Amino acid sequence: MTFSRLEDRRLVTGAGRYVSDWNFPGQLHAAFLRADRAHARIVSINTEAARAMPGVRVVLTAADTAAAGFRSLPCAAPIPGKGGSALLKPERPVLAGDVVRFVGECVACVVAETAIAAQDAVEAIIVEYEDLPVAMTAEAAVAPGAPQLHPGIPGNVAIEFETGDPAAVAAAFEGAAHVVSLDLHNQRVVGSPMEPKGCLARHDASTGDYFVHVCTQGTTGMRAQLVATTGVPDEHVHIVAEDVGGGFGLRFNAYPEYSAIMLAARLAGAPVRWVASRSEVFLSDEHARGVTSRGEVALDAEGHFLAFRFNFLNDMGAYIAPTGPVVAVLSIRACLAGVYRVPAAVANVRLALTNSVPMAAYRGAGRPVISYMIERLVDQAATDLGIDPVELRRRNLIPTAAMPWKTVNGLGYDSGDFPAVLDKALGLSDWNGFSARRAEAGARGMLRGIGIATFIESTGGGASPDEVEARFGDHGEITIHAVSHSHGQSHETAYAELLASVLGLPRERFRLRNGDPGVRLAGNPTGGSRTMHGVGSALRVLADDIIAKGRELAARALEAASADIEFDNGVFRIAGTDRSVSLDALIERHAAGPERVFDTRSSARTGSTFPNGCHVAEVEIDPATGVVSIERYTAVDDAGNLLNPTIVAGQMHGAIVQGAGQVLGEHAIYDLETGQFLTGSFMDYAMPKAVNVHGLTIADHPVPTPTNLLGVKGVGEAGVTGSLPALMNAILAALRPVGVTHFDMPATPARVWGAVGAARAGDGRRFAHA
Amino acid sequence: MSQVSLTVNGKAVSVDVEDRTLLSSVLRENLGLTGTHIGCDTSQCGACTVHLDGRVVKSCTVLAVQAAGSDVMTIEGLAPSHDPSGATLHPVQQAFSECHALQCGFCTPGMIMAVTGLLKDTPDPDEQQIIHGLEGNLCRCTGYVNIVKAVKQAASALRA
Ligand code: FES
Ligand code: FES
Repeated sequence: MTFSRLEDRRLVTGAGRYVSDWNFPGQLHAAFLRADRAHARIVSINTEAARAMPGVRVVLTAADTAAAGFRSLPCAAPIPGKGGSALLKPERPVLAGDVVRFVGECVACVVAETAIAAQDAVEAIIVEYEDLPVAMTAEAAVAPGAPQLHPGIPGNVAIEFETGDPAAVAAAFEGAAHVVSLDLHNQRVVGSPMEPKGCLARHDASTGDYFVHVCTQGTTGMRAQLVATTGVPDEHVHIVAEDVGGGFGLRFNAYPEYSAIMLAARLAGAPVRWVASRSEVFLSDEHARGVTSRGEVALDAEGHFLAFRFNFLNDMGAYIAPTGPVVAVLSIRACLAGVYRVPAAVANVRLALTNSVPMAAYRGAGRPVISYMIERLVDQAATDLGIDPVELRRRNLIPTAAMPWKTVNGLGYDSGDFPAVLDKALGLSDWNGFSARRAEAGARGMLRGIGIATFIESTGGGASPDEVEARFGDHGEITIHAVSHSHGQSHETAYAELLASVLGLPRERFRLRNGDPGVRLAGNPTGGSRTMHGVGSALRVLADDIIAKGRELAARALEAASADIEFDNGVFRIAGTDRSVSLDALIERHAAGPERVFDTRSSARTGSTFPNGCHVAEVEIDPATGVVSIERYTAVDDAGNLLNPTIVAGQMHGAIVQGAGQVLGEHAIYDLETGQFLTGSFMDYAMPKAVNVHGLTIADHPVPTPTNLLGVKGVGEAGVTGSLPALMNAILAALRPVGVTHFDMPATPARVWGAVGAARAGDGRRFAHA
Repeated sequence: MSQVSLTVNGKAVSVDVEDRTLLSSVLRENLGLTGTHIGCDTSQCGACTVHLDGRVVKSCTVLAVQAAGSDVMTIEGLAPSHDPSGATLHPVQQAFSECHALQCGFCTPGMIMAVTGLLKDTPDPDEQQIIHGLEGNLCRCTGYVNIVKAVKQAASALRA
């Protein structure tokens, strides 16, 4: 059967509905004035000229948000800090009134009859600033004498986390035969979904209801944050969304602009729409990664790991984004020792505030930070000790028979078969044939390297159960409601296929509605690769609940006891007879009645799962130009059971190439002195293109997890969790023979060319961050 | 203000616009053809790609007044241009769906319009020509793997 998704027809014909595609009668347009400097006191804001411009209806500043009772944007820490310390929360206003703390922070909002008129009026607002000194990197922010960003956050450290057993680690290091350490920088990147964020708000003055159309990964988190910020009661905030053009973590939180647009709609008495330009997206979307780290491993004489010790210093930007601390610490805590049998480990994570865009989730959300640290450290140990990197891993992998495994900080993995995953990847990548390929490349003057990463990640457990609801329409259609919002993950198809297979109905019968303001469900936004184990499990329960209802109706129709009724492939049958009635017929008879007997709400609660994999990358570097070419890439993943392998492969492709993007070029750069953002367009920020990855092989080695009904583990982020370390290990393997000993991402042609030249001149560390 | 008359998806239209108005705004805001997307402000992403007198252009980089008198085709007009009954998709649209060459779909209309143009000029492209042909279009979701596959499949469907 040819592949196609239920969402495809509208999307390939241009009939999708993204935020900027909504229009309402009388709609007005908004534009924001943003700080043009990184740190400054606001002396005055003069909006007089702007208010007098043609078509201008409303101008908002901090005075207006204060009058409306707006509060600081919310933030929280998922676990207590070291010694039980609490997160020091910076006040984050919707519109800055006293101090601006990063270039791009919102200062004023103009509403006018057209978007162009609003933009023109923004340019007529005059702000007088008094510049303050800036702290542009985490290292600079925590240094003695650094400028202080917020009152009450001394030293710009919002919290420090510690996980693991520092005493056990210290003892292990003392008795170690070898100690290997490595400093790494995981550079700041901009997630850049292709749909720029936007918001359209409508206010109904008679009921007090707000309808807020936004790019969202799920309505529950978005609504809660808007309620916390605006003070509008929860029952009056309705999030509306249909198609969302990518998210990757950046569409989870309620950006300050969204609250401002709600207020603007109320004051203007008309729908107000704002759509960010790409320049605004670069200046105001949450950025991600930005972690400086040091890892140490202690080994015995045979190369067995005795302990890991990690220190992470996270650049959090000027404020703490709602999901920022989660991203910074949870993945590190969950997968502290990776796939290895390590008796002791500890990690320390410090969150520093800097004069830059707040940091939060981007595909992987911390998973590619810990996997990158561990897997590069393991390769460094292999190099330093002269042990083959595969052999070193094999010696230390958690054996399959030891599952379920309890990790050193008391958490654990339920299932996995790491040695088999490794073997499969070695076979598919023809690891053993590499030396011949290297020799052939060498004859052409090229540097060829192969790199491996054996990794594990923890998927999101979810803050609440996931509820789903089925509503049966009058024409046989079944509408499924869920919170977790699709922004490319093919939920519409995956949900329908899952229900269709259990209920024995064609998948075309099912429609999906996320973000329907008329249906309030508990549940979690899309994130942490959790939708299929969370919502998927709820759908499985839903299907069983529908079958149970059908069984009662079938028993009545067939005049039999319900205990005697079997259900198979859409048909209820009295066991051992040929007397039957189809689910479809029962739906037709009963679903449309006033009691809507088939309408069902079900839920499930799942915990984290542990997708894992082994990725092997092979690169070729032209030492004359510094260009890195990915020649082969093999990914073997244990994502548990796969529901739709084509969709799964698509998720892997996208995530691997996002990883390749960070490895080869993506880098969000601020000027260290002025705090201006230097990579604010697709001309300056190197997005991956079709040219980047060749010879991709995707394979699976499923070990179903016993922790949910479907045995699925999740697949959204594994590609990037594996590709950062696998690709960089390959690049280092190619560069070591010419004398490069250390190299930090990104491996742009200029940096690689420079590193080769510096190494030949005797400096193997020129392009290391630390 | 200028009055601009043009043909869009086979229909004659006329709009009054400020001289600085972009073709993309006319399509989206004046004509309600929201399948043409805006993904950037520096002519890099290609989400806004349409055909102008049969040539592939980024509609965010053409002033509406420059398009006066021209014939524009947007994503909404592609399937009908292939099958006026509306029953079947254009082979490029079909190939994108069958090859899973779209995830969130935001880049997709622009990709499809660009590929349709590419295949008109280069009916049997090799891998390098496809990669080169996609240089002006960004996709954040698919890693381009299945887009390249879809171009190959569409090329052979169109040659058949
Ligand atoms: S919107 Fe036209 S190229 Fe990006
Ligand atoms: S499918 Fe999402 S950007 Fe291409």
